[in-house]
Order: sequence, then C-alpha cells, then structure tokens
Amino acid sequence: MNDENKEFAEIFDNGGFITVGAFSLYKVQELRSNGLDPYAYKWDRTHTANQLQEIYRNLGNGEESNSESDYVSIAGRIVARRAFGKLAFMTLRDDSGTIQLYCEKERLLSGQFEQLKTLVDIGDILGARGSIKRTEKGELSVCVNSFSILTKSLLPLPDKYHGLTDIDKRYRQRYVDMIANPEVADIFRKRAKIISEIRKTVESAGFVEVETPVLQGAAGGAEARPFITYHNSLGQDLYLRIATELHLKRMLVFEIVVEPKLMQPTFVLDYPIEISPLAKPHRRHAGLTERFELFICGREMANAFSELTDPLDQRERLEEQVKQHNKKKAAVVSEMSRAEDENESADDSYNVTLDEDFLTALEYGMPPASGMGLGIDRLVMLLTNSASIRDVIAFPVLKTLQ
Amino acid sequence: MPSLDKIKRGCKTRQTFQESPTEFCNKREPKPNGHGPYEVNQREVQNKKGSLSYYYNKFFASGRSRPQAQKSSAAEDEGMDPTQYYENRLKALAAQKVAGNNPYPHKFAASLTIPDYVKKYESLNSGDHLEDVEERLAGRLMNKRSSSAKLFFYDLHGGGAKVQVMTDARKSNLDEEEFTKFHSSVKRGDIVGIIGFPGKSKRGELSIFPKTFIVLSHCLHMMPRQKIGPGSDSAKKTDVWVPGDGRNLEAYILKDQETRYRQRYLDLMLNMEVREIFKTRAKIISYIRSFLDQRDFLEVETPMMNMIAGGAAARPFVTHHNDLNMKLFMRIAPELYLKELVVGGLERVYEIGKQFRNEGIDLTHNPEFTTCEFYMAFADYNDVMELTEEMLSGMVKELTGGYKIKYHANGSDSDPIEIDFTPPFRRIDMIEELEKMANISIPKDLSSEETNKYLAAACVKFDIKCPPPQTTTRLLDKLVGHFLEETCINPTFIINHPEIMSPLAKWHRSKPGLTERFELFINKHELCNAYTELNDPVVQRQRFADQLKDRQSGDDEAMALDETFCTALEYGLPPTGGWGLGIDRLAMLLTDSQNIKEVLLFPAMKPQDEPSTKDSNKKTQDEPPSEELKKNVTLS
Repeated sequence: MNDENKEFAEIFDNGGFITVGAFSLYKVQELRSNGLDPYAYKWDRTHTANQLQEIYRNLGNGEESNSESDYVSIAGRIVARRAFGKLAFMTLRDDSGTIQLYCEKERLLSGQFEQLKTLVDIGDILGARGSIKRTEKGELSVCVNSFSILTKSLLPLPDKYHGLTDIDKRYRQRYVDMIANPEVADIFRKRAKIISEIRKTVESAGFVEVETPVLQGAAGGAEARPFITYHNSLGQDLYLRIATELHLKRMLVFEIVVEPKLMQPTFVLDYPIEISPLAKPHRRHAGLTERFELFICGREMANAFSELTDPLDQRERLEEQVKQHNKKKAAVVSEMSRAEDENESADDSYNVTLDEDFLTALEYGMPPASGMGLGIDRLVMLLTNSASIRDVIAFPVLKTLQ
Repeated sequence: MPSLDKIKRGCKTRQTFQESPTEFCNKREPKPNGHGPYEVNQREVQNKKGSLSYYYNKFFASGRSRPQAQKSSAAEDEGMDPTQYYENRLKALAAQKVAGNNPYPHKFAASLTIPDYVKKYESLNSGDHLEDVEERLAGRLMNKRSSSAKLFFYDLHGGGAKVQVMTDARKSNLDEEEFTKFHSSVKRGDIVGIIGFPGKSKRGELSIFPKTFIVLSHCLHMMPRQKIGPGSDSAKKTDVWVPGDGRNLEAYILKDQETRYRQRYLDLMLNMEVREIFKTRAKIISYIRSFLDQRDFLEVETPMMNMIAGGAAARPFVTHHNDLNMKLFMRIAPELYLKELVVGGLERVYEIGKQFRNEGIDLTHNPEFTTCEFYMAFADYNDVMELTEEMLSGMVKELTGGYKIKYHANGSDSDPIEIDFTPPFRRIDMIEELEKMANISIPKDLSSEETNKYLAAACVKFDIKCPPPQTTTRLLDKLVGHFLEETCINPTFIINHPEIMSPLAKWHRSKPGLTERFELFINKHELCNAYTELNDPVVQRQRFADQLKDRQSGDDEAMALDETFCTALEYGLPPTGGWGLGIDRLAMLLTDSQNIKEVLLFPAMKPQDEPSTKDSNKKTQDEPPSEELKKNVTLS
C-alpha cells in the first residue's frame, strides 16, 4: 500500500467505517489528483442505448455513420470491459438496454485512452460521446471521442456470467439484483403499467381517486391482526389499516377444496352471510350474500360485493364480529396465564371496537352500491410469471440479518 | 333548522337505544348454532324477520301512536326533536321489513346522471312536458316541499348537480291515498330512484315528473338545512367554485368544522363545493403523474415500514411486526429507497404516497400526509428547478386557465392575495441574501463554533426566538424563516443551503460549505425540497456522522445513519437530481384552504371525549397560519 492509499484508509479508520475496497478508494484519490471528478454533477445525453439500437438497426456490419447528426452522447454503467494495446471495448448499460463503446486510442482526446485503461472499471458509471459504427462482428457501437467518469463504483459487481443467485441478497440489495439481472427491472415496469391501466380504466368510467387514512383510531375489522403504533402528541394508540378480504377467506371451509382447481379466471359467487360481514344479503338466496371472489391459478385475485347498506343489519353483523373476537381474546388470555408462549398468544390481544362512525354514516343513507378489491401484488405475480410475492415488491420485509 | 349539536346528541342517544334491542333480539330469537355455511336456510331469515318484529312490537304495540312520519307533512318534522325523529324513522323501517318489503333495494339502473340530465334537457321551454320520454334518475333528496297532499316537490341532488322532482298524484302509478301515504314517508336526505318524464315547470325549473318513485336508501337522521330566507336566492346564484378561486366557508350550509371533518359525508352532501375541492386534489395528483410519465419516469412503490426511519429528519411512528418479532418505523420519506433504485439502473423513478410523522396536529400538519418524490439520473438541481417551474406553472394553467390564483393568506376576513405562477420563478441565494437582508456577515466556516455564536447573537439582536438546542442549523433556519421566507409570496426558490443543513445534498460545485439544493416557497410555505443528490459514499458517511453530533447535542430531528443506503452508494449512484413535493400543501394553495384538514377527506382529529378538545381545536382553526406552525417539515 503506498502512502496516499494508506492515508486514505486512515481517513476511514478515523470515521470508524471501513467497508470499501481500498483499491477503489485509491482510484478515487487518483482521479481527483488528476483533476478529474469521481462524482460528476450532470451529463447531457442525446440518446438512450435502445434508441440508438433502433435508429441504426439497418447499419451494415463494418459501416460507420459519422455525419454531425450521428455524433451522440450516452451514459450508463459499464458492465463489461476488454482492453488491448490501442483498443478497448466496453459494454455500457442504461435503463433502456446496452450498447458497445468502441475506444480507439487515436480517436480519443489526448491522455484519455490511458485513463480509460487504468481508471475505468466494471461497475463505473460513464458518460461518452462519439459517432456510430457497427463492428465487423455486427455489434452496434459508439466510437468514443471523449468520455467522462460520472460515478466511480467502489464495490465489485456480482459475477457477470453466474449473476446473482443468492436469493436473500437479491431482496436485501435490490439494486444489485437489478444490476446483475436486467430483467428484474422489467417486472417493476410491468407493475407500473398494470397499475396505470387499472387507473385509466376506472378514471375513464368516471371514478375519482381518493386517499383515505392509513392510521386509524380503532382496529378496522376483527379478522386480521393489525399493526399498532402510538401517536405522541395525541397520546393515543393508532392502528394501521388492514385489508379484510384476504383474511376472511381463511374461515371458509369449502374454499380449501375448490380453490386449487380454479386455474382459469373464475368467479365464485354468493358467499354465506357469516363470512361476509359487509356484503348485502342475496336478493333471492336466503343465508347468502351477493358477493364474488375471482380466482385465477388457484389464487384469490379479487373480492367484491353488493355493499350492505342497511345500518341495522350492519350493526348486528359487526356486533357479532366483535363478540367473536372478544371470545377468542378471552380464550387467548386464559391460555396466556397457563402457557408461556407469549408470541403466539399476543396475536389476538388487541381490541376491536364497533365502528360507530361507519354505522352512523350508513344511517344517513348509502345508495345501492357495489365495491371491488383487487390484490395488485398477486395480479402482478400472475402477469410477470413470478412465483413469490417478493419478486414483485421492490423491497420486501425481511428478517433482520444477524 | 336543527342545530348540529342536537343531531350529535341524537346520535349518542341512538346508540344506547339501538344496542339494547339488538342484544335483546339475539336473546329472544337465538340463531341456530353450529351450522355450516351452507346450512343457512329460510328459517333463519324468518328468524331475522322475527327479530325485526321485535322493533315493531316495541314501538307499535306499546300503546304509542302509529309513526308520526306516516301522517306528518314535511313541515311538521321541522320542529321535532332529532332523537324522536330518528326513532320514528326506525319504526317506519321496521314496519316495512315486517310487511315483507326490502327497504334497501339491491339495484336501480339510472338511464343517465343528473348532470347529464341537466345538460340534455336544460334547453326545454317553460311548461314543456315530454310525456313520451322515459328517463330514470337516482340521487339524494335535499329539499322537500308540498303544496297539497297530491303535489310534492323535491330537489334531487347527484354528481354535483340538481334537478327538481315534481310529483303529481295524477301522474303517479299509485292511487291517491297510497300516493299521499307514500310521500309523507319520504324524507329529506333519502336516496331515491325515479322513473318519469322530463319537463320544465311553468316557472322554468327543469324537472322530472315521476311515474314511479322508489326509495333506495333511507336517511334516518334529520339533515341540517339551509335557512330559507332572503339570503337563499343570492346563495343560489353563487358561481360554481373552480380551482384558483377564493372560497367562502362562511357561505357553507354546514359550517361547524368539527362536524365537517368528522362526518365528511355530511360535508360532501351539504356543501356542494367540497366535492370540487377533492376533485381538484385528484386532478393535481393526476397532473403530476402524467407530467412525470410523459418524461419516462417510472412510478414505483417503496416500503412504508422500515427498520430505520431514514431520508428525512422527523420523529417516526414505531410499530411491531409480530411474526418477525421486529420493531419497525413508519416511513418519514421514501428518498433512500428511491435512490437505491437509481443505483439499480432505474434512471427515472417517482413515488406518490403517504409519509408519517409523529408530530403535533395543526393547520399545516397531519400525522400522515402525501408527497411526491422523483429522482432523475444525469440531472442536477438546475434541471430540476426548470422541471419544477414547468410542472407547477403548467398545472396551474391547466386547472385554472391562467397563472394567477386567489388565496386568503390573511384569513377569511381580509381580501384574498394573488399568487402568480408565471415562470420563471424568483431565485434567491440563501446565505448571500440573508447577509444582505439582515445586514450581517456570517463567518465563512459554517460548521465552526464561531459561526454558531455569531448566529445566536444575530437571533438575539433581531429578537428571533430559537428554542434550544441552538445548533447552527436551527439558528440559520430561524433567521432564514424571518428574513427570507417571509418575502416569498409568489413561487420563489431559495437555493444553495449550507452543507450542515443538508445531509443528503451534494456539495456545491463552486461555493465551499454550501450545497446544490433548493426549496420552493409559496405564500411563505415550503412546497418543494430538491437537490443534486450526494453520491459520494465517503462524504455521505461523514455527513451522517455530523448529524449524529447534532443528535447528541439534543436535536432529535437530526438524521440517522442508514448503513444499507451507504452500501448502495458504494455501488455507484449516477449524478442524480432529486425532488420532493408536499401534495397536501399544494392542494391547499389551489383550493384556497388555510387548514390542511380542508384537503384531507378524513383528517386526524383529536379524541372527541376530551372536554377541552373542541375549544382548543377551534382556537387553532381560527388562527391564520403562523410562522411557528410552518417550519420543521423538510419534505424530502
């Protein structure tokens, strides 16, 4: 380790953080001592990689395009790099795709070729300008005239050929996952598209998008364990809102038999009143409600019903729910006094109260209405061929690393 | 007009009244136990009806008279005690159920909405009756008048429009006696479906003339009413509110703030303007979304519960995950996750969503609020400033038709001020301008002890209060609030904040000690916070370490170190411009709202039972926004 490098390492030692490869930090230092900024402020690009691939689709092998309009500027991360005597190839990847950088010593500004060879590594983010050429091997390339290191990467990227296979790391460091597996980003692009299409559909049908509270004074329903938090200045416990539909179905015996068989989109209709506390009684079938669930591939995707609008009926049903919850809670409490497994028993120890505000609202009259809930994560899983919900959530909740 | 206090009292009385009969029914008519879901049979329904017969017996067989509702005209209800009114309505409902009728029909198919009906038939001439045409309308009855037992008039409201219902016994499918009986039972507030023909009254009022009249849902409570008097005509003529206009809450039919916020449905029913406020809010969000979508930004969702509350400086909500037995914080900003996605190669991302801060509730703060943050690779704060101008001026233009809006910045008693969104917005350099305005000369090393003493002395000199801890950051913040933010009425960028105030912003490329950051102020309030993102992991760790020092000196709004985020930076974050906007505050501006609760459908309210609550709330709500309330939320 030379002196500069040592000095640099000491800086980190003083700060109490040493996680960064000393070699990369040395390169950062060297960039700075060469008057180069390892963390540039901005880069104006004219095209994305994919735009160039499209525009020059018909450029023949070995052909060059170097009129003024073919002078382009791109930016992205270097994901592959091969250097020879006076020639270097790099693969640059941006949000849209990849393109090759064709770096010839004579074409580059003076001194830049040496910098490229000694200071640029895989993982660095680069801006490059140049003209367009397709190599003899058919690779569309930017013939680089000048480049600039925009951000120096300090950590090595996962192995190019084997990618990132450590599943846990994929979820914990989603950005590494995305760098190593570009198709992961496609899942999140599709996710955005799916939500956007849903939004367009309901908006064009005249719906207004609204925001309702996440923090609530009372636990919303008796079927799911809520998260509990505390508001300091109100001096009051608050509950995080829950989605009821997914939990309700656990109580439904027959579903366990039917569900796995429902591969094609299927509506299961008219659930019993007992497990549908917010659905309207069926207009023809006593004891049932006007409710459906949509199953696809054995999974529940949506839950919908004619909404219960009768405040008296609603009150009776919610009272029953609270009663059931308290019964369960009482059982749990007596269990707790005997057993020692606190984690298990704490599950149902929260309070569920009758939502008087909601009942009062119904007493002011709710028009006949129907409502639908859709599990977006599951829909995205289905449409992106993802086996785990963690694949469609950018940052899933994970256990603490020991 | 019944006072709302009475109505609320009525609700409470109702609760005690209502709970007991249900319980009683359950005891008297036990439901069969232990049956499977499909064993529910007709018998149970009869039992249910049986239980309803309890209501019937209780009220009808107890020697009381038949429900007053069946005899009384609309006028007779007016003087009635709200509790009595409610009980009468319950009786009428019970009677219907006993008679085997469903008082809550499952479906009524309207042929068109009320606004469409108005559009379609408003050009009719006075006295026109299109008896061959059939239309089906549904809505809420907001007014009821009768000129005889054979002629009733209603106002039918829906979709922000209204139409008169002129109900004539001669046009009805019912015979005369049935007709009179039915219409005496129909109350203001009921939701009805009407099948009839269009026409205009002789006085030129667009109407529907029902053949069939179905009550779809019942309003069991007496609804607050607008006083009929000389004022009502002028109230009718009031132009429809549009974004950018001033509002007059004093003209609302339902004025009581507590009721408006706690029972938003009443607010929406009675104050026609309120729906426009929330439509405007939706339009604002939709504009932002399409603005960013058009520029190839990707909308993403990041976690609301984190192990570390990062990305901003604020007190978080704490909760607990049972299964993982793990303490979690509700997010205070999505910033760090969004930047991790940029590291991952998503070059333009944004998120619109809720943030949570465990702080007091006042005119500009709600524990949960909505922000938009976007991050744009290869851009810097200059680019982002231009985008901000483009987005906000474009939005105001689209929503209001021009660049200027009216806002009651000095309370509803004073004239509204005008806020001009014409781009470009004014830019002021924070430290430079502060020195000029206050005629001071701040030592160059902003992190020095000397500077801290100098600024503390300046605050004393100008009588600016800064409660402890008097960190340099907090002192500067107070001075800037006093000298600069006060001047920001039209949209103004305050730029180039000191490093010590901005732990996530990149050091300025040419001004030592400062960062490339801007805050957008409008009407003295912070709307946006943005910067060239700090992407040097070494410097970022150092900044977190400095924050820790502030934290140790008692500033609990200093930022916590997020190791995961620092590791992500080590993989390389491209040069990136980042931006945060407070959507609630923007919605407040564009809807002339001085209270954040006006733009939240269900604002957080203090618990109702505390006797002091109402008074203290009133106090807060009556005060104009003050300097004190404004600060301490850093948006991004």
